[in-house]
Amino acid sequence: MKLTPLDRKSSRDLWRLKLQALAVALVLGCGIAIFVMATGMYDSLERARDAYYTRYRMADLEAALVRAPLAVGADLATIPGIAALELRSTGLGIASFAGSLEPLSVRIVSLPHDRAPRVDGLVLLRGRWPATDGRDEALINEAFAEANDLIPGKTLTVIVKGRRRTLRIVGIASSPEFVFAIAPGELLPEPERFGVLWLPNADASSWLDLDGAFNDVVVTLAPSANTDHVRTMLDRRLERLGGRGAIGRDRMLSARYLNDELGQLRTLARILPPVFLSVAVFLLNVTLTRLVVTERANIGLLKAFGYADRTVGWHYAQFALALCTLGAILGSVLGRFAGDYVASVYRAVYRLPVLEYAAGPEVYGGALAVSIVAALLGASSAVRNAVRVAPAIALAPPAPTTFGRLAASIERFGRALDPRARMVIRRIVRYPRRATTSVIGLGLALALLVMSGHFSAAAKDLIETNFGVAQRMDVTLTFAARQHPRVLHEVARLPGVLTVEPRTSPEVVLESTRHTRRDVVFGIEPDAQLDRIIDIDRHVVAPRTDGLILASGLAAKLEVDVGDRVRLRATDGRRSSAELPVAQVIRSFVGAAAYFDRERLVDALRENRIDGALLRIDPMHRRDLALRLKEIPAIAGVAFADRTERSLRKLFEQGAGFFSSVFLTFSMVMAGGVAYSAARVTFAEQQRDLATLRVLGFARSHVSGVLLGEVGALLFAALPVGLCLGALLSQWMMSRFETELFSFPYLFDSGAYGRAATVVIAAAAVALVWVRRDVDRLNLVAVLKSRE
Amino acid sequence: MRHSVFITRDLRRTYGDGPTAVHALRGIELVVDEGELLVLVGPSGSGKSTLLNILGGLDRPTSGTVHFRDLDLGRAPERAVTEYRRRHIGFVFQFYNLIASLTARENVELVTDIADEPMSVDDALALVGLSDRADHFPAQLSGGEQQRVAIARAIAKRPAVLLCDEPTGALDVATGIRVLESILHINETVGTTTLLITHNTDIARLGDRVVHFGDGTIRRIDVNATRVAAQDLHW
Ligand SMILES: Nc1ncnc2c1ncn2[C@@H]1O[C@H](COP(=O)(O)OP(=O)(O)OP(=O)(O)O)[C@@H](O)[C@H]1O
Ligand SMILES: [Mg+2]
Repeated sequence: MKLTPLDRKSSRDLWRLKLQALAVALVLGCGIAIFVMATGMYDSLERARDAYYTRYRMADLEAALVRAPLAVGADLATIPGIAALELRSTGLGIASFAGSLEPLSVRIVSLPHDRAPRVDGLVLLRGRWPATDGRDEALINEAFAEANDLIPGKTLTVIVKGRRRTLRIVGIASSPEFVFAIAPGELLPEPERFGVLWLPNADASSWLDLDGAFNDVVVTLAPSANTDHVRTMLDRRLERLGGRGAIGRDRMLSARYLNDELGQLRTLARILPPVFLSVAVFLLNVTLTRLVVTERANIGLLKAFGYADRTVGWHYAQFALALCTLGAILGSVLGRFAGDYVASVYRAVYRLPVLEYAAGPEVYGGALAVSIVAALLGASSAVRNAVRVAPAIALAPPAPTTFGRLAASIERFGRALDPRARMVIRRIVRYPRRATTSVIGLGLALALLVMSGHFSAAAKDLIETNFGVAQRMDVTLTFAARQHPRVLHEVARLPGVLTVEPRTSPEVVLESTRHTRRDVVFGIEPDAQLDRIIDIDRHVVAPRTDGLILASGLAAKLEVDVGDRVRLRATDGRRSSAELPVAQVIRSFVGAAAYFDRERLVDALRENRIDGALLRIDPMHRRDLALRLKEIPAIAGVAFADRTERSLRKLFEQGAGFFSSVFLTFSMVMAGGVAYSAARVTFAEQQRDLATLRVLGFARSHVSGVLLGEVGALLFAALPVGLCLGALLSQWMMSRFETELFSFPYLFDSGAYGRAATVVIAAAAVALVWVRRDVDRLNLVAVLKSRE
Repeated sequence: MRHSVFITRDLRRTYGDGPTAVHALRGIELVVDEGELLVLVGPSGSGKSTLLNILGGLDRPTSGTVHFRDLDLGRAPERAVTEYRRRHIGFVFQFYNLIASLTARENVELVTDIADEPMSVDDALALVGLSDRADHFPAQLSGGEQQRVAIARAIAKRPAVLLCDEPTGALDVATGIRVLESILHINETVGTTTLLITHNTDIARLGDRVVHFGDGTIRRIDVNATRVAAQDLHW
């Protein structure tokens, strides 16, 4: 293909403006990279999850009950809509292994005799299956094994139902049921502290006192089945056997957690790219408009020679397209690598058998299409201007740009300033659209940084508030079976225990006129010190004796408000129930829960039992206490708060850490790109003026001051804009990230704002220094010789 | 006797090197006296602007020496040359070079703000006959008016030397005469040493001496016994 002179001009323009062009391409590339990374990752993760669920028969419904003879299974299998079902014996236990300091919690799940489970299948990753008639052989879940360095051949000491046994690990497995292994009652996975043990049915059943019986059923549904319908049937048949109500995937901890994560990824993929793309469009617009302005004479000349308007317009559109294609390629490559990296981070957290980052052609195609649209949007006004230039322009003499006086008040203020300051102010007022563009661009970069800073700050705050204000115990004990409160006296005698408070958290069914939900009600003592109700503003809320306190999420699910009545039914088979008014609805801090005065709750359910104990301990005796706790059969779970806190921090860092650094880099690119482009355009337009200042005897530093002044003024204006935008964006993002279990409060974190502003100012400063070099190199003679 | 302001010795300026090198100045020997009006003429490309730029501290010689009083312009550090421009030199260019975002008054203030003993802005504008246009922006002034603002800006700091590179090049006769009158007026009343480049042989008659350039060298220097008044010019 032969290059026409116009093509050659295009490529020379591109070369001459290479750094500005690169700034546009980079900003666009960042947006595309996030798009490619997040969209691709979302698709990959969803695909991996769905494939895993399908291939290994993830349960659609699970129902826990007190006890039912195995024969009931045949009856359940007749429920229409059930494709497969598995009867299981499960229970909680406490475990330790050689070298473990503190007791760990485990869930025992039985494996069917002689075959793989029909529902909630297992992937055997290492070792072998337990021998069907073998005793003391177990599979353990992968996350738990990795976190604690457990390999086949090692042994675990486990206490269940007061009986201690030593189990031999024969294999490591994972299951769609436990992509995240989350201990009951906990909100987040803690692989160090919680594991799943699969044992052959015979062994598990007898240990759990369930010989010839089961206490858990998982089912998959036929494709055409109506989930609610099957759930109702299941509940009805299990009710008299102590059924606690079947739950769907939306209430299964692992599935729910995975779903939340996917939602957040999708939010990311939808919100961020448009921010970058719009800034890229602005930058492109500024660069091209400026190019057309400086080239008015050339454009007129081309037209005078007989080039068609269309040809001239296309010439500038091409320039934009070339830039955006470059941005799209850059972004796609970057996004791909980022995707691979994120996949490797996710693989460590998500226990999916296959998780590869793979973005389909539609993702890359989408990226290119979006870039082209951005190019056309950014170029449109410049191209229109180019088309509009009349050929006669080429022959007209150059006229100085028209400037006007400003409002009298500004002028009066200007009097006090030196002429260079006046130059800056008048220029900004003369080109308001461009100034606004730069302010918005810098503001958006700042807003992104504020948001990413805010996210880590919110996560940190969540952890600190939870452990510092709400849950101030050092240790939480969960009893294997509910106990009478008098055991607290014995607990208090354990080594190092300073304070003991009861935990009363029975699982109940909450019924409003319209909805039914299974949830936990916390019985809180009025003078509780260790576990307190905290609302989103971190105020301690006293338990009410006149009714329930509901978290707003739960209240919304039940569609009740203060004054409405809710029926509470025990789920442990005793059928006790009570009707209570809703006394207060709060925006809760963590979890969607219900609270009631402990004494009243116990009365209402007619059973004075506690589920666990909360301890404050003397750190000196921690080791002794841990050793003692491992020996107590009645305890099914021990959680040391500092360990939990640490694993929570790790979890947040894994997720937030990578994204924070991505935000940091990309926002710096954006701020630097916008500042560079603003300074560059100012420089190009004022080259002559700056050279004149130099000739008149102003030193280099003074002359750079004009440039600095303009970009500085824009930056100054961008700071409040960016901080406000950042606050709004954070608030909105937080609300999008809010799940049923976590609500992120909006909090003013001056540190996040300060850091964000510093980063943006630094990026702008680097861009300015870069342009300043051009001021220093200004060739006075050459600039003044030409007209412009 | 009069003091000399500039002295050049074997002044050379070469652009580029090798076979494509352009020798813009090839050994200029010139002494400029205090208070004189020196006119530089010569064909296009003969090196007039190059010399003026070197004398004004905008460019440096390739070899040879150039002194402004005691200051060695060829070797002084950048900072000293900037200082020199600021204190001693006023420039007037063919294309005015006013700053578009500043009014006429502010363009002059730009200089008076950094000068040691400037005249008042109003006086400077009065000298070029523009008192009534002080608050107009360049875009609101004619070419001749813009050039007179440029002159006011150049002389407002009472420079020792006024350097004018084709100040009337872009102007019509009548306007050109007004501009030249301003320059002569300043040269006579303030005693500013003035160097003026022109292509117009008529204008050359205004000077005390006329330096003829050719191919990067001084061909000859004419001394005008009597200077002509600006209004007597016609071209
Ligand atoms: N930056 C440069 N690079 C290369 N050559 C240059 C440069 N500047 C000037 N020249 C050359 O130096 C020579 C002298 O130029 P100069 O501008 O001094 O001429 P002049 O006498 O002012 O001409 P005119 O009357 O047309 O303004 C010319 O041949 C010119 O081409
Ligand atoms: Mg010249």
